[in-house]
Amino acid sequence: MLLNQKKTQELLKKYSLRYPETIIFNNLEEITNKKIPFPCVLKVDSQRVVHKTELGLVFTNIMSVEELRKKTLDAQAILKEKQITAYSFILQETVKGTEIIIGMKTDETFGKVIVFGIGGIFVELLKDVSMRIAPLEKKDCIEMLGEIKAKKILDGFRKFPAVNKDKLVDALMKLSRLAMKEKSISEIDFNPIIVNEKGAVVVDARILGDENA
Amino acid sequence: MPGYWVMKMLEQFFEPKAVAVIGASRKTDSAGYGVLKSLLMGGVFESDTNRPFKGKVFAINPNAEDILGQKCLKSVLDVPGIIDLAVIVVNSQIVPSVMKECAAKKVKGVIIISAGFGEIGIEGKKREEEILEIAAKAKIRIIGPNCLGIMRPSFNLNASFGPCMPKDGNVAFFSQSGALIDSVIDWSLEKNYGFSAVASLGNSIDVRTTDFLMWAENDKNTKAIALYMEGLKDGQRFMKVAKEVSKKKPIVILKSGRTQTGMKAVGSHTGNLAGSYDIYKAAFRQCGLHIAEDMDELFEMAQTLAYQPACKDNGIVIITNGGGAGVLCADHCEGMGVKLTELSKETVAVLDKSGKMHPAYSRRNPLDLVGDALHERYSIAIDTVLKQKDVNGIIVIQTLQTMTEPMLDAKAVLDAMKKYPNKPIITSYMGGKFSRKSVELLEANHVPDFNNPYKSAIAMKALIERGKWLRG
Repeated sequence: MLLNQKKTQELLKKYSLRYPETIIFNNLEEITNKKIPFPCVLKVDSQRVVHKTELGLVFTNIMSVEELRKKTLDAQAILKEKQITAYSFILQETVKGTEIIIGMKTDETFGKVIVFGIGGIFVELLKDVSMRIAPLEKKDCIEMLGEIKAKKILDGFRKFPAVNKDKLVDALMKLSRLAMKEKSISEIDFNPIIVNEKGAVVVDARILGDENA
Repeated sequence: MPGYWVMKMLEQFFEPKAVAVIGASRKTDSAGYGVLKSLLMGGVFESDTNRPFKGKVFAINPNAEDILGQKCLKSVLDVPGIIDLAVIVVNSQIVPSVMKECAAKKVKGVIIISAGFGEIGIEGKKREEEILEIAAKAKIRIIGPNCLGIMRPSFNLNASFGPCMPKDGNVAFFSQSGALIDSVIDWSLEKNYGFSAVASLGNSIDVRTTDFLMWAENDKNTKAIALYMEGLKDGQRFMKVAKEVSKKKPIVILKSGRTQTGMKAVGSHTGNLAGSYDIYKAAFRQCGLHIAEDMDELFEMAQTLAYQPACKDNGIVIITNGGGAGVLCADHCEGMGVKLTELSKETVAVLDKSGKMHPAYSRRNPLDLVGDALHERYSIAIDTVLKQKDVNGIIVIQTLQTMTEPMLDAKAVLDAMKKYPNKPIITSYMGGKFSRKSVELLEANHVPDFNNPYKSAIAMKALIERGKWLRG
């Protein structure tokens, strides 16, 4: 079961994993008086939507209230067409940096496995990832950063700004702690966790687990 | 669990005093015949490695008078005196009743060769549970069922139906496939590889991979462990034990079942990225295991790790009498992350002054001594290079030219091995027929030699990784 936005944020907070300033709403009227952090990202949160990007339900770089209104209506049209009625909107500040993917899965032989890679084609196309069985030690995390083929990107390369490796290691350690402690959670995607020179922010988290456990 | 206790636990298997073969058979094509013959003569096939078991052997068969000159007894209960180890080779259906007799006889360990257990389904699984219950009550340890048996050359023990006794050596080989052991032993005789112990794990209902690892950790004859694995029941436990054992002794592992055709559909990205073999590999690396890609590597790495010291750091020198071979080896090294140390000014100065170098020798790594190099040039080069502090090991390549002195070159390597016991030396005698004798000399002295420089690089990489793991 995919955890909803509220539970997801609670869990991130519990393990001191940073996430962007977020506003959750169901219709535009709810946010007419709110201060919106432009440029922002608009996303749809629904149990029925697994791959938001593929359905066209992620809108980035929204600069104004007018644009936000338009994108919200676009999203509603797609949802109506797909006959999805239970959903809410998520509005987030834009975080700049390099898109990293970290995640966890449960393996029947070894237990919790932590996976790390750089977002986009590196992971999607080249499957350039490194992994370790949890619990991780700091040494493991540092090794993981050095094991991917595209490791040089972490130091800054063309359009990719350099990342704060300490904060990235820190995020991996926190994910490992979460994986070991929250027995009811079976799979996690932080895709992406955006890392820049200052820190690491979980921009999109998908957590699978038993909500009632 | 303290190591010495594990040692004692498996002692009845690897160093028994009296062994009974339950289900000894007259049929020469049966496992029951093979096991008895292996105990009495050391092996089924003739081999100069065969030695008859030093302890007592009893053949149990209620329907036969005698087999291979050995008088048969009707039941294990008829054996006078103590039985440490029983090898059970009867039909799986009567294994439970045989186990009850073993319990009554206070047998300490049984190897169940018979098939027809967990591997055939629910009925077999039930039988496993039945014999486990008998064993637990009587404190009997079980290897198998559905296995080939075990061998301990240093103890003249071949309690298996494998082809013959392997050579005595220092690598312990534990395999989840019995059939593979047969071929490995045949091949090891050609390759001059020796074993401290060989064990077929079978269904591992009681004694498991982790028990064997803990035993090998404390076994004086074992210097390296080779594992062939198909799967694991308890990955977490394996990791815990393997991590401890590999601090003391190197473990090389070959895992089969790497391609996953029917991977389950999973709900997350991470789920799809982490395939089963990837996870196994990550786990193995986390416990300091050396991962072999094929059978050759499994034993080549195990042999190298058993007899050569670990590299203190990543940085080695290639010494060669053929420029092409040197570059080829350097390419392989670079490709797998083995660093080539630069020769220091002092090293080059000593070589220059020796008066034995060819005017066109390379003066850098790979150190090309030029084709007409005789043993003296090799000897000076090897010694001078090893003297350089940041050289952590060398690969010595010899191409066979008409003036080359393979035997004397090999002796130069052996001298260096004595003088620099903390720096590994791997050779690559590229050739065949005309280098055979010198290669045998190298192998007899535990210098890892490979016709293919690629394999030398792989072996060196294993020693570098070992050093890194030991440094923590």
